[in-house]
Amino acid sequence: MTKRIFRSICLAAGAVFLASLILIMGMLYSYFSRVQRTQLRTQTALAACGVENLGADYFDGLDLPSNRVTWISPDGTVLYDSQADARDMENHLQREEIQQALSTGWGESQRWSVTLLERSLYAAKRLEDGSVLRFSTSQNSVLTLLLGMSQPIVIVCFLALILSIVLAMRLSRRIVAPLNELDLDDPAENECYEELTPLLRRIRGQQKELQLQADRLRQKQNELTAVTGSMREGMVLLNKSGMILSINPAACALLDTDRRCVGRDLLTVNRNLELQAVLSKALDGTAAERTIPLHDRRFQVDASPVVSGGEVSGAVLLLIDVTEKEQAETMRREFTANVSHELRTPLTSISGCGELLKSGLVKPEDVASFGENIYSEAQRMVRLVDDIISLSHLDEGAEDLKRERVDLYAIAQTAVQSLAGRAEAAGVTLELTGRPTPMEGIPQLLGEIAANLCDNAIKYNRPGGWVRVSVESGKDAVRLTVADSGIGIPQEHQAHIFERFYRGDKSRSKAVSGTGLGLSIVKHAVQIHGGKIDLSSAPGRGTAIAVSFPIEQAKNRTFG
Amino acid sequence: MRTRFDEQLDLLHKELITMGALCEDAIARSVKALDGRDLALAKSVPEISARIDRKERDIEGLCLKLLLQQQPVATDLRTISSALKMVTDMERIGDNSGDIAEIIVTTNLTGVDEAADVHDMAQAVIQMVTNSIDAFVKRDTALARQVMADDDMVDGYFDRIKNALICRLRSPEADVEYALDLLMVVKYLERIGDHAVNVARWVLFSITGSRERE
Repeated sequence: MTKRIFRSICLAAGAVFLASLILIMGMLYSYFSRVQRTQLRTQTALAACGVENLGADYFDGLDLPSNRVTWISPDGTVLYDSQADARDMENHLQREEIQQALSTGWGESQRWSVTLLERSLYAAKRLEDGSVLRFSTSQNSVLTLLLGMSQPIVIVCFLALILSIVLAMRLSRRIVAPLNELDLDDPAENECYEELTPLLRRIRGQQKELQLQADRLRQKQNELTAVTGSMREGMVLLNKSGMILSINPAACALLDTDRRCVGRDLLTVNRNLELQAVLSKALDGTAAERTIPLHDRRFQVDASPVVSGGEVSGAVLLLIDVTEKEQAETMRREFTANVSHELRTPLTSISGCGELLKSGLVKPEDVASFGENIYSEAQRMVRLVDDIISLSHLDEGAEDLKRERVDLYAIAQTAVQSLAGRAEAAGVTLELTGRPTPMEGIPQLLGEIAANLCDNAIKYNRPGGWVRVSVESGKDAVRLTVADSGIGIPQEHQAHIFERFYRGDKSRSKAVSGTGLGLSIVKHAVQIHGGKIDLSSAPGRGTAIAVSFPIEQAKNRTFG
Repeated sequence: MRTRFDEQLDLLHKELITMGALCEDAIARSVKALDGRDLALAKSVPEISARIDRKERDIEGLCLKLLLQQQPVATDLRTISSALKMVTDMERIGDNSGDIAEIIVTTNLTGVDEAADVHDMAQAVIQMVTNSIDAFVKRDTALARQVMADDDMVDGYFDRIKNALICRLRSPEADVEYALDLLMVVKYLERIGDHAVNVARWVLFSITGSRERE
């Protein structure tokens, strides 16, 4: 812009200079021509007077440096010439000014010299005797004048050029300066050319819009970061060549990396082959899903292609921890299979007995024992179903059961009394020691704990053995211990006995009636009370199971 | 031209990592099969070993093409030449894993008295292989040196198990076949450790440009 302004100013200055030069030259030239012509006329008139009075003598001693005087007779012969010998000169009759003078008494003309650099002006006057006196003067042409003045003109030109350059530079700079100093961050605050106001207003509007869009974008980004950041699932966004574009913290933790991995290839972060297989499938355009072990846990990896414009432009990996889900599923499946199996066994027996009775194949004296069989199997089923119900009840947290102040000793006593008959039948001594121990708890569940533990201790015992139940109150816990002199539990089974339907000794499970759910119920009931179970057992020597309930919990909680 | 070269170098890098991952997978499967007597798992190893062989040929081809067409110098030349050497060692790791799997399939290695030592040794070897590949991926010289140092530990395990087997063979009712098979397994493990050290050495060479002492 500066350049353009500068150029324009220079050009304008040049043009003005040239125009004024031409104009002035023209004016002066025509003015001087007029003056010269007037002088010529005057001189001619004066000289004519002189010649008429003095005749040829007038010319004696006449010294005219610039003018030429010629006296011509009426027939055109030159009588006198101030610059040449009159006798050598040709006849002047045909000259324009002579002709005019001869006919009208006065004539004028002008003629260009051969080189066109000079012009001769002529003025002629007819004298009374019919001869003609002619005066002539030479005049330089404009071109000659200009040539003569070339040196000063060049100097002036040069000066004008320098002046105009300096001026133009200053001027253009001054014009552009406010534009350069425009504060585009805050266009409305500028005090500048009026012509720029619409532009500035427009810029301001667009700036506002941009700001708004940037804010919106940032907000979106923040929302996305917040969502993916708080996700427990890992999420990775990859481009077409498998480079990580974005990764959330959960995925960072899973893949043992940090945010710096953005921009690197997934392969350099984790080279799990299955993960790569899923990813390459997604990058080929088909969504894939696979369960992959990572860090001792199992993850379901969902890879979906990102399609834009009909082409796969990347992929999204979603890593979901399914360890617990899979475990729970396996447990549920096993539980269902076990329940069906356990229910089927007594039913087969019942149905068999019933079939025999129906077809009348049973001797009358055996009917009672068949009935007994059906009854006991049905009882077993009832127990099993009861256990399953209470277990599923416990699974849901037993929220409908209320805690209240109970005496653990009394509860243990009830259990021992109810089992006294069975203990006697098995030839086992059943003892209870301790004193009243109050605690906060759910009586039904505590009763089940005591009954199940005692029941197991009697069942898995030997004739002549003993079962000792004790209730103690420690400093920070209430403890119920059931010790027996039974068969004991081998080390490899100890970890599993609290699982559902787990039977330590498979061969005994048929002989000893039991649902296989007792200890599972105990475990859940204890968990609900916030207590813990300690097991110590040695094969052939007996088992001691101690259940302790923390007292603090009992103190801190209030129950309605 | 330069971009194409960079792309090919990138591809080489990725292929090497994939091959490393395959090696890890092969040895992990063999060791798991050894620990858990999982014959099905052991039988899956030769297939991976074959994939490793194919990868080796692919990478060799790629390296030769790069050398011929791009005539690399300095770091690039080191990278490519060490890649050529590394794949040989990685291929041997795959082969040795396959050999271990074969021993598990064809012989009866039950009742490993030295199980704890063999297990520890196998884990140490797996860690070495993983570390050597990690060193390559992260261009981590410290990790590469760690691998070279760990080899002594693996050699220690080998000696201990060998001595235990010698003691066992002294008794007249010793199961000679079992002892020899187990010795083969631990020897293969020890070889895998050596190959991991070689890989680490080449990683160091490609980074620093100077050969470590043998």
